[in-house]
Amino acid sequence: MEAHALVTQLYDPANQRNPTRINEIQTRLQQLQKGEHAWEIADSLLRETSTHHRFMGALTFTVKINVSGGEIGEPMTWQILERLVNHFITIVNEGEQAMVVRKLASSLVAVFRNSASSWKRAIWQLAASLAHGGYVAESDSQTVDFLNGVLPVLNTQKAIALVFFSVALAEEALRLEAEPQDLVGPVIERVVENIGDAFLLVQYIIRQIAYHASEAGSESMESTLGNEAMGSWKTWLSVYGNHRHSGDKQTQTLAISCGQDIIEALRLPTFNESAATVLTSALETRSWAFDSHSIFTMSQILSDSIVTKHLIAIADENEDADSMTFVDLLVAYVSHVNFDLFSDPMKPQNTQILAILHNIFKTPGYAAIDESATTRALEYWGEIAECLPDKLESTDSRYQIVKAQMAQVVLGMFNKLLYPSPSDLADWGDDERSEFNAFRHEACDYLLSAYPILGVELVSVFQESATTHLEKLDWRGFEAAMFCLAQLSEAVDENGHADQCLDSIFGSNAFAQLCLGGETGIPLKARQTLVDSFGKYESYFERHSFLLPSVLNILFESLSFESCAQPASRSILTLSKSCSRMLTTELPTFLDRLDQFRTKPTATVSTMPRVLEGIATIIQKLDSDQQKVQTLERILGFFVQEANKAREEAAGSAYDIARVHGHLVLSCIASLGRGLRSEGEDVINVDAAEEQNPYPPSFWNVGPGAPSQQLIMEAMRLLIVDFPVDSGIIDSACDILKAGYTESSGLFVFPPSLTVDFIKSFPLGISGTDVIMATASSFLASHGSHAMQIRDQAVELIIHVSQLFASMLDNPDIYDPETANAGIDFLARLLPKYYAILFSLTEPIPSAVGPVSQGTPTFALLLNFSLHALTRPEPLVLRSGTAFWIAMMDLRGGSSEETVALDQVLERFIPSLCETLVRQIAGRCARSDLTFLNDVLRRTIFKKMALARPSLTTALNALDAQVTDANGQQTPVLSAQDKSRFLESLVVARGAKSPSLEIVRSLWLKCRGMAFDYAQ
Amino acid sequence: MSLCQNRLQEERKQWRRDHPFGFVAKPQRTAQGTLDLKRWECAVPGKKDTLWEGGVYKLDVIFPDEYPTKPPKCKFTPPLFHPNVYPSGTVCLSILNEEEAWRPAITIRQILLGIQDLLNDPNPESPAQADAYNLFKKDRPAYERRVRQVVKENPPM
Repeated sequence: MEAHALVTQLYDPANQRNPTRINEIQTRLQQLQKGEHAWEIADSLLRETSTHHRFMGALTFTVKINVSGGEIGEPMTWQILERLVNHFITIVNEGEQAMVVRKLASSLVAVFRNSASSWKRAIWQLAASLAHGGYVAESDSQTVDFLNGVLPVLNTQKAIALVFFSVALAEEALRLEAEPQDLVGPVIERVVENIGDAFLLVQYIIRQIAYHASEAGSESMESTLGNEAMGSWKTWLSVYGNHRHSGDKQTQTLAISCGQDIIEALRLPTFNESAATVLTSALETRSWAFDSHSIFTMSQILSDSIVTKHLIAIADENEDADSMTFVDLLVAYVSHVNFDLFSDPMKPQNTQILAILHNIFKTPGYAAIDESATTRALEYWGEIAECLPDKLESTDSRYQIVKAQMAQVVLGMFNKLLYPSPSDLADWGDDERSEFNAFRHEACDYLLSAYPILGVELVSVFQESATTHLEKLDWRGFEAAMFCLAQLSEAVDENGHADQCLDSIFGSNAFAQLCLGGETGIPLKARQTLVDSFGKYESYFERHSFLLPSVLNILFESLSFESCAQPASRSILTLSKSCSRMLTTELPTFLDRLDQFRTKPTATVSTMPRVLEGIATIIQKLDSDQQKVQTLERILGFFVQEANKAREEAAGSAYDIARVHGHLVLSCIASLGRGLRSEGEDVINVDAAEEQNPYPPSFWNVGPGAPSQQLIMEAMRLLIVDFPVDSGIIDSACDILKAGYTESSGLFVFPPSLTVDFIKSFPLGISGTDVIMATASSFLASHGSHAMQIRDQAVELIIHVSQLFASMLDNPDIYDPETANAGIDFLARLLPKYYAILFSLTEPIPSAVGPVSQGTPTFALLLNFSLHALTRPEPLVLRSGTAFWIAMMDLRGGSSEETVALDQVLERFIPSLCETLVRQIAGRCARSDLTFLNDVLRRTIFKKMALARPSLTTALNALDAQVTDANGQQTPVLSAQDKSRFLESLVVARGAKSPSLEIVRSLWLKCRGMAFDYAQ
Repeated sequence: MSLCQNRLQEERKQWRRDHPFGFVAKPQRTAQGTLDLKRWECAVPGKKDTLWEGGVYKLDVIFPDEYPTKPPKCKFTPPLFHPNVYPSGTVCLSILNEEEAWRPAITIRQILLGIQDLLNDPNPESPAQADAYNLFKKDRPAYERRVRQVVKENPPM
């Protein structure tokens, strides 16, 4: 009684706004559903007449079966089944609502999946019981033929209920596929025994509804039955698909036969949408469910039936979204038949299907926004275009047929590529814009796939379109055609195949007029597409350099428009780089344009550096340094002024503005450096053996170029010294310094002191230390061939790093992982060329007065710090530590003196190194660190065996961790045997990476416990 | 046709049929215009309501001959400023590691969605580049400024 009352209260409108009460009721109901009287409660609720009580009764059965599943033996499952089946029959006969029938069907499935159940032909038994009007035992049910004896007796209501159960059973099987098969395998096997009955049920129903189609209204029970049966076919196909085997032809034939009946149902207005949906899904995922007869029937229906009318009407304004169901079917069908759609001669129905497919491009509205049919159709054509070269020989007559169809697609889709008018665009949000842009790119993907087949004619289509639209000042058409041409550049720019065709547009009067700029009336979108396309045709313009001045004119003009500035700056850079030599005469004009641009709001860190790099590549091609210097001074003078302004902003506490300003100035100067970099000639060889002057006098440091260099150094000083620290500024400053490292002379080849002073000017702990120290590494690398010539600067840098390390060793609270990592990385990189300088620093650094660093020789302090890094929890510090020690092990002395010195250092440090490595590997480090630590260990063993072996033995013997065994006794984690086996195995591995890592990993696991093993 | 090629063709088909909004994944074209199924050009959009929103990040996905037994290599081009992206552009992600979470059933769609998640949810345990990692750990405002700059440099197509 309590349960009845609770259900009544649960659905009482008075309680609906009282979540606390609802919660209380549900909690109590759940207790009852799991309690000892749950079976009686379920029975009693199901005997009620109210839908809510019955629903809760069915739910109670399911909950109780699931909760007490383990306690139910086989006899009890039969008892429960009988009760449930009788309830099921009663509520079906009484015409109960679908939700209750479905719920009770799922309770029956819960019984089926119970491990104690041996229920097999469930559909047959339930059908027989429904036909009989009361429970029929499984063995008795099979005395009457399922198809001819049982099913014809079922009325529509009963048949719907049976299909509900059938679908629930199949869905359960699909859910069980994801569970451990040793547990659920037997249940799935029993489900599989029902596949034939399930398909027979589908076939019976579909044939019946087809026979009585004229009587079925869209809301009728027959309509529900038909739709449910078709859905059932789809679900059982999935179950069958997972368990299909070649010997089982009978079931497959039955499945195919059901599919054929559903294909026929496409002709029935009440059922054709559901049929289209399930057939689409089956075509996409269960292609084996169709044979040649199925395909032939479908082709007939698609080309001449009510479905055809829906498909043709898609190009009408009036057709609603439901037609997409048929478009999906059409695309699934043509994808399924693939190249079989084309034959010579063409089959009439396929000709009609292709016509429908082309007609889709006439669908009103924007593709991907207002309609999705175009996107679907293009999917198919994309697949055809991609596969054609592999499927058919170009001499095959079918190849020519496909080719003609593909050309028709190109023409058909053009209107779909038109960018929205401003008024339409105003109604779109960001998502719509992105969707439409994505569609245009996907459409152009088709063009690129079609190019190998259609050739230059494809480019001509868009060239002619662009030319015509430009002459008529039809900017939307022009933009779409230019967009397609731009995308096709990937296929034709470098090889020049379409040059003649492109000449017709880029060489036309209308185009020349457009490039003159001024009041052309070109809207922003068309301008944006146009400037973007120039950058994509860099090779074409390289071959047609006479066009460049006018093209660059419109590009510079476009820099003033926000939406065009980025593509315009990109195209300026691309074209300037590839055509720099031809553009030197245009430099004065470009500089004037630069002067106009640099004050515009569009001159940002995303645009201006590109323009400057482009201009610098042209300057680089001037004949003499004298010519270069005039231009560069003009540009650099401006940036020094801007640097001063940024400084004033900082002085006025406008720090953020100052930082942005400063970053822009330095990134522009850095991009000048990139542009001025020599190509091949004059690049220094960092491995050359001869001793060189690190800073030879040149035009740029003592000659007429010196003022320009001074301007750069001035700008850097203004924005570094006593200026707010900013990682962007640091990045750009480092780029400026690095710009000259690969050159022997030039504007960006600065005195070495500039780099050293810059690096030393930053205190411990700032963001960007890694970039700064990487610059220090690049600096030393660039002087690697004459290391001794740069000794003083190298020592200064090493001492600077030592000071940073000493501070951190003496004050662990200020340990900065970035500085540690960057500093050790710097040391690792300098080792190969500068180790002799490093090891010669045997005096302590004067500033080291802390408890750890005081009195320690500089080189030892650095090595101690790098050793300590191997124990750090920060992954990058540990990794740079390992890289340092690997570099140490790889060192070879250049002379006998150097070898002796090196051996002395190693003798001193290898014992500590081995001790650290062993302690870390014995469970202290993170698992992900093992690979790195192993790399040091294996190299140490392989390269310094004599020193390493005793040190490792000592380190292993010092391991004394203990563990409590099963008897409560304390025993060592590693036995003496474990330790010696570990060492011997490593020795046998002879430094090989994978075997060593395996050995190291095993030791780590032994020390950590097997719970850390991924394989467990 | 090899298992690798078969699987990649199926992936291509599935992707055409349905792919997450704003993502791009297509095989590269050879000089002759045909497709190289083992090298895909992809693009991952920054997730909505994150720092990375508004940018679309290009990456190459390179499939080994042993795919799908072995995972593909994903490489941002140009290399991306992100703690879990190596200076070379290669993405460090557990599902792309044969010794960690790679399974042959993982699809290109799942990989790209995983990379999208990674953008705003870096894994500080597996740093791959010092630049982004250090800023992420030490100076979050500067990290965010850099990411915003990265977004600007990678506008949608």
